[in-house]
Amino acid sequence: MTALATKSVSPNLERIRTAFEQRARDGDPLAEWRRAALERFLELGFPTQRDERWKYTNLRRLEMRNFAPAEAPHVAPTLPDALTDASLRIALVDGHCMPSLSHGVQPPGVTVIGLGQWLENAPTDAAACLGRLGPDPASAFENLNAAFVDDGLVIDIAPGTQFDEAIYVVHAWHTSGRMAHPRIVVRLGENSRCTLIEHYIGAPQIESFTNAVVTIEAQAGACLKHYRLQQESPKTFHIGTVRARLAKDARYLGHEIALGAALGRADITGLLDGPGAEMKLRGLFAPAGSQHLDTYTRIEHIAPYTNSEEEFRGIADGRGRGVFNGKVKVHPNAQHIDARQLSRNLLLSETAEIDTKPELEIYANDVKCSHGATTGQLDATALFYLRSRGIDASTARALLIRAFAESILTSIEPQGLRTTLDNWLAQRFSSTEVSP
Amino acid sequence: MLKVNDLHVRVDGKQILNGLNLEVKPGEVHAIMGPNGSGKSTLVQVLAGRDGYEVTQGSATYLGKDLLSLPPEERAREGVFLAFQYPVEIPGVNNVYLLKAALNAARKHRGLPEVDAFEFLSLVREKMKLMQMDESFLNRGVNEGFSGGEKKRNEILQMMVLEPTLALLDETDSGLDIDALRIVANGVNSLRRADRAIVMVTHYQRLLDHIVPDYVHVLSDGRIVKSGDKSLALELEKRGYDWLKQDAA
Ligand SMILES: Nc1ncnc2c1ncn2[C@@H]1O[C@H](COP(=O)(O)OP(=O)(O)OP(=O)(O)O)[C@@H](O)[C@H]1O
Ligand SMILES: [Mg+2]
Repeated sequence: MTALATKSVSPNLERIRTAFEQRARDGDPLAEWRRAALERFLELGFPTQRDERWKYTNLRRLEMRNFAPAEAPHVAPTLPDALTDASLRIALVDGHCMPSLSHGVQPPGVTVIGLGQWLENAPTDAAACLGRLGPDPASAFENLNAAFVDDGLVIDIAPGTQFDEAIYVVHAWHTSGRMAHPRIVVRLGENSRCTLIEHYIGAPQIESFTNAVVTIEAQAGACLKHYRLQQESPKTFHIGTVRARLAKDARYLGHEIALGAALGRADITGLLDGPGAEMKLRGLFAPAGSQHLDTYTRIEHIAPYTNSEEEFRGIADGRGRGVFNGKVKVHPNAQHIDARQLSRNLLLSETAEIDTKPELEIYANDVKCSHGATTGQLDATALFYLRSRGIDASTARALLIRAFAESILTSIEPQGLRTTLDNWLAQRFSSTEVSP
Repeated sequence: MLKVNDLHVRVDGKQILNGLNLEVKPGEVHAIMGPNGSGKSTLVQVLAGRDGYEVTQGSATYLGKDLLSLPPEERAREGVFLAFQYPVEIPGVNNVYLLKAALNAARKHRGLPEVDAFEFLSLVREKMKLMQMDESFLNRGVNEGFSGGEKKRNEILQMMVLEPTLALLDETDSGLDIDALRIVANGVNSLRRADRAIVMVTHYQRLLDHIVPDYVHVLSDGRIVKSGDKSLALELEKRGYDWLKQDAA
């Protein structure tokens, strides 16, 4: 009998392997690293809902699709003037650095290099850098990214450098039907400070797959303000992984704003490795139509005297589905921990849904942990109050929705980014009948 | 100006107003009193357009229009103003923003241009002074963290800026200290004019010392069971409502 047939790999995974083999190059210094990552990915396949971290998100829609690895476009497309007030703009189109669309001067102490270029010019150095960051244990999508990564950025901030203007990275899609696996490595020297804005955009007809990974290493006393504004096309798949390791007194202040994509997932991990390290995350996700937007955060308090604070707000409309799953783990002996988490959700239609799941895993005893989660509709009394003052129903609704998002909006420091989000909210939810 | 005729209203299957009649003419001030739960707030909220109320019978006309068929914002723009018994806190919506949006909505409705920013601010400042409200209230969220009395003053401030034709005041005196009561009453009195009318719900005679009504009505079990002049309020203060309930039965 043929009971011992070779282990069958699903056709979906087989396609990934084929794509991998087709682009394997001789002399790739990362060949071994990539292949190991691919095998890890293939072994477990796409995560399923049996995995607690994916409880509310079904990846079938993504898994069934066949995306070819994206190439750098031959001609530089024109980018919409998304954000203008950044002094340093770097464009990645279809996952590839486009120097002709990038502008600005790198100030002293700030070094931004294209990863693809680096791999070309100094393959061993680049390979060592990526290889060393081999995550432990990497998630499925980090492995997939490692198998295919061929461009991205390496951002080095020299010790003591305080760069308060933002580095603005725009990830734009030009070609439909492709997958891109960009990787951004951010290394912050001691007591350095920097702001990174990542903006993911794509024209509405684009159907592609973004699988971006950002790894952050912050040395003692360093601080990164990291904004991710995900405005992919409503047909695109977006998986964004952020993994930050924070040394003593280092801080990571993250904003995760998810507005676009058919299926979007942000996966944010913070490793609080030294006393005084702090992670603050704020986020807004706003699924509508049939969008599915999932945010997963995992904060590990490894060292004592570390703090974390999270505030995520979801606004779901239409048949939109939102997920916030926030895990906080306090390691043994990590005493004097303060961890706070708030999840507030607003449902604008009968068919919208938001699932929120806090998870605490605590192995120390001197720990202050709090979490709160609410899900509700617009306050009917407040709506009536506004209308009774002459404000029409749709404007009143828009005002209340904006009010719901207010605390996230006001915590966004870069003016251009705040305005972009504010305008988006106004456009999505309001009529302009009353201009005060 | 306002004619309520045989109004029957149900909420969640419960009959609350049972054939209520009320006529208010321009220039008049009406006080509505009555026991807790008798339907006073229901009446003014239905008139202002709150949904969730089912009008099963009767009508309400305002300046000849069928009031009950208009959405609340239309009523407001037509000059109906409700000062809430429990003003709503709306964090994230700026107090002065709301004032300006409300005023502009009414102006647009009347075919007037938007109010000039400078004029608006001086108008608001003047009214705030009358209400003895600190200007810092302007930039706070609507009623956010306001004390009970501050919320009531804020309602009257809105009323003074919007200058309604028909003001419905639901227990605007509750929760006010003695000085604030006088300030609010002065505010309301300053609005009295031959072409405006005021309907105020109150439990206390002392408000009526400051704002002298032309008529006093007693609402009980969803109906007006007695009407009179201001002396009725004095009588109620002495005798309570029981004698009226027995009369009505
Ligand atoms: N949504 C509702 N469902 C059921 N009953 C309701 C609802 N809203 C109001 N009621 C009832 O209707 C009745 C009238 O309420 P209303 O607020 O009009 O009274 P009121 O005369 O203003 O009382 P008060 O003097 O205490 O302010 C009360 O018995 C109240 O419980
Ligand atoms: Mg009442």
